[in-house]
Amino acid sequence: MYKNGLTYVGASLFIIAAHGAMLLNVLVNGAYSDIKDVFILIGAVLGLDIVYFISMLFYKQMSFAIDFLLIFILNMSVVFQSCFGGVHLSLKHYLTCIAALVACRAGHLLCRSHKWIQEQKKYFYIGIGILILCILTLTGSRSMWIDLGFMTIQPSEFIKPLLVLACSTSVIEQQRKHRILCFNVVYENLILFGIIVLICGLQWWCRDLGSLPTFVAIYACGLLFRICYPKAKFSKKTVVFGIIALLIIAVIAAKFAPGYVQERLHADIWSDKTGTGYQQSKALIAIAEGGWFGKGPGHGSLYKVFAYESDIVFSTISEEWGLLYALMMIFSILLMLAMPLINPARSYFHSSMAACICAAFTVQMALNIFGSCNLIPFTGVTIPFISQGGSSMVTSGFMIGMLSAAQSPVFKKTKPKKSADTPKAGGGKK
Amino acid sequence: MKSIRRGQKIITLFILLFIAGMCVLVWKIRRESSFYIMNSGTQALGNVYDRNGDVLFNGSGTMKFEDDYLIDVGNIIGDDKGQMTNTLVACNIEKLNNYSFDSGLVTEGGKAAIYSTLDHYANRAVYDAYGNSKGCTVAYDYKTGEILVCTSLPSLDVTKGYEGIADFETGTLISKTLYGTVPGSTQKVSTLAAALEVMGADTLFSKSFSCSGSYINRSGDAINCHKSSGHGKQNIQEAFENSCNPFFAQLVEDDDLPLDGIKNTYRNMGYAVNNDKKIKIDIDGITCETASTTLENSYDFNTQWGCIGQGSTLVSPMQLMMWQSAIANGTGKMTMPCLIDHVTDVHGKITDRMTTCYSDNIFSANTAETIRQIMLTNGSDRYSGSISGYTVGVKSGTAQVDNGKKDNSLLVGFVDDSRHPIAFCILIEDKASSSVTTEKIANVLLDALYA
Repeated sequence: MYKNGLTYVGASLFIIAAHGAMLLNVLVNGAYSDIKDVFILIGAVLGLDIVYFISMLFYKQMSFAIDFLLIFILNMSVVFQSCFGGVHLSLKHYLTCIAALVACRAGHLLCRSHKWIQEQKKYFYIGIGILILCILTLTGSRSMWIDLGFMTIQPSEFIKPLLVLACSTSVIEQQRKHRILCFNVVYENLILFGIIVLICGLQWWCRDLGSLPTFVAIYACGLLFRICYPKAKFSKKTVVFGIIALLIIAVIAAKFAPGYVQERLHADIWSDKTGTGYQQSKALIAIAEGGWFGKGPGHGSLYKVFAYESDIVFSTISEEWGLLYALMMIFSILLMLAMPLINPARSYFHSSMAACICAAFTVQMALNIFGSCNLIPFTGVTIPFISQGGSSMVTSGFMIGMLSAAQSPVFKKTKPKKSADTPKAGGGKK
Repeated sequence: MKSIRRGQKIITLFILLFIAGMCVLVWKIRRESSFYIMNSGTQALGNVYDRNGDVLFNGSGTMKFEDDYLIDVGNIIGDDKGQMTNTLVACNIEKLNNYSFDSGLVTEGGKAAIYSTLDHYANRAVYDAYGNSKGCTVAYDYKTGEILVCTSLPSLDVTKGYEGIADFETGTLISKTLYGTVPGSTQKVSTLAAALEVMGADTLFSKSFSCSGSYINRSGDAINCHKSSGHGKQNIQEAFENSCNPFFAQLVEDDDLPLDGIKNTYRNMGYAVNNDKKIKIDIDGITCETASTTLENSYDFNTQWGCIGQGSTLVSPMQLMMWQSAIANGTGKMTMPCLIDHVTDVHGKITDRMTTCYSDNIFSANTAETIRQIMLTNGSDRYSGSISGYTVGVKSGTAQVDNGKKDNSLLVGFVDDSRHPIAFCILIEDKASSSVTTEKIANVLLDALYA
């Protein structure tokens, strides 16, 4: 695409046209008191589009598909978020979207070379350790949030990309088995298992189990790659055993879950629609009221409900823009995640990284959408790029950057140090 | 390359699982969206019609009715105000909502409606026939299950609202056809069914017991007959027609009729015997209580009294009528009643149409046919004058209520006519103070339905 300027311009124009159509809808059907608010929104969205498309020209990549989809989704979310409860630019969300774009670029640049990233492995573990310490020391009592006064940060979000990297870089270690008693053990597997247990314990302790399935999905995906390496085929017995073990753990966890979790597991939202079922019942009513085509931008009423812009954002969008549009939005995110199917990763590291990211995103979206619509217990997680939330946005941006790196990897050999004893043992050779 | 394809397989798996979940979600939302809207407080309700197109409930509240025009169906059709919860409207309010996910809420011109099986004209005739009396009548087509008449007194005109609700008479806000009442001697139909199931017709007809006006049972308690001079020696046909309590007490004590046999038949008929869990009967969302009784010992007074239809035995008029269908059809299977013929959606498209359903066998076809003949003989011997012009199989009953202070009068039966297959149950409360009889109500009912 980079080499074909016409395609680059064509794709850019298509995205500008798509955003333009959305903004036209806001202008014609939106609920606003001052038309100036609409023009500010138009300027912000189209301005960001143009700046992004120009700035992307400075990067050499094999594929820009993910970058195009990312700006498409981010600006779409800016329009959505700016229309809730009346049209006005949601500056906070706009700024976090820009932060996500920057984070994406950082993720892309850092993860392009699997050899280089393999050498940085120890920093991932250090990073995870620091973040866990931050949660234990800097957050409030049994909380996941650091309150800086003017903003809050959720350090656990930043663990996600680090865990993905730790899982992906550990795959190659599977060949280095050590004998302990009668077991062949890979040290790194034990460390990763310890980390996931620690994260689960931390989430449990902080009474914030919402992100737990996301971490477990990343770990399980990484584990799947590790146990199948280097046999080059799935060990069915191990996979089945793993699934059974996971189910048993889930059942035990559900049985012994704390009161507030049990309440959510067994909640009948319609019999308690002013209490525990308030958000979900309102969310479902909003979707029903919106129908396929919605009430119109800014004409919804769900914005009066707590967490309308994050935990139940799918319903808020459905109410104003219609279920069809909300599904299209989700489809766009899925399309971005499915890119490795169209343009396959070039290394085992990138492949496992892409799979872990896909697992994290789909699980997180499922938790948000299915939870808010009462298909599964309700958890307070976000839809990547759509929900408001700085930590989530930056993390998601970084992870999509990692996904993008898998599309445009570099295979340059790292320059051997003059005094180097031995070059690294050709982990990338196939 | 193989290992990279594995990564793609995992990505595909996650995406496909998520898409499957989204498909379930969209399907669920489309299917349940009407329910969500009903919970939102914004709704546009359609009408309920009778079988001839007469409006029984006006969802928009814009239609004007004469005073008490809808009083005969007030407590079975109900309204959307939430005061009455076990009514056709309350239990099917979603079907009345002029909403669909595709077209949204249609506040004007929506065609969502429920077309009921009720005959407003016949309901009104029966309601008026009660005069100042109270009670209820339910009648249905025992071939199709369509409930034609379901009136309960006292009732209310729902169009007038609920002002002065505290002064409403007891039972105004419910249809008594759905709730248990002491069945009196109509219970003898059930005991007869049990005896036929256990002994067979030949053995039963070969038995005869004497009645001298009162019978001292094996426990030493007296079972009195309504005819103090007694009925003398009778067989089952005569005892059934005489509604003789001592005969049935002796039948229950008979060694050829073990109590377990009675219990089994009762349970098959739907009784909750002793401490059995009660299973509700569902009639288009409306809940009907099932029968219950206590049977502990064949020689025990309360057990015998229960088999005669007094004491702790309770049966809803609806269920008494349903048993009549199993007899009238001669199959031993009840025709399940329904109140809704069809439902139309917001565009007027029929979305739900009634189909006739039958229960499992509550007793054998032979038993059903024998009871049918006994009841038809009873009808022709005893009721041909009072219910004139119809071939009916009937059983009357007098139920002691309020600790024997009052007697309710009941009549269950069916019309033996394939063109008008009507089964019915009529209840008049406190018959001593009533100027009307169950036979009179039956006449009015059948005349109105045959009109």
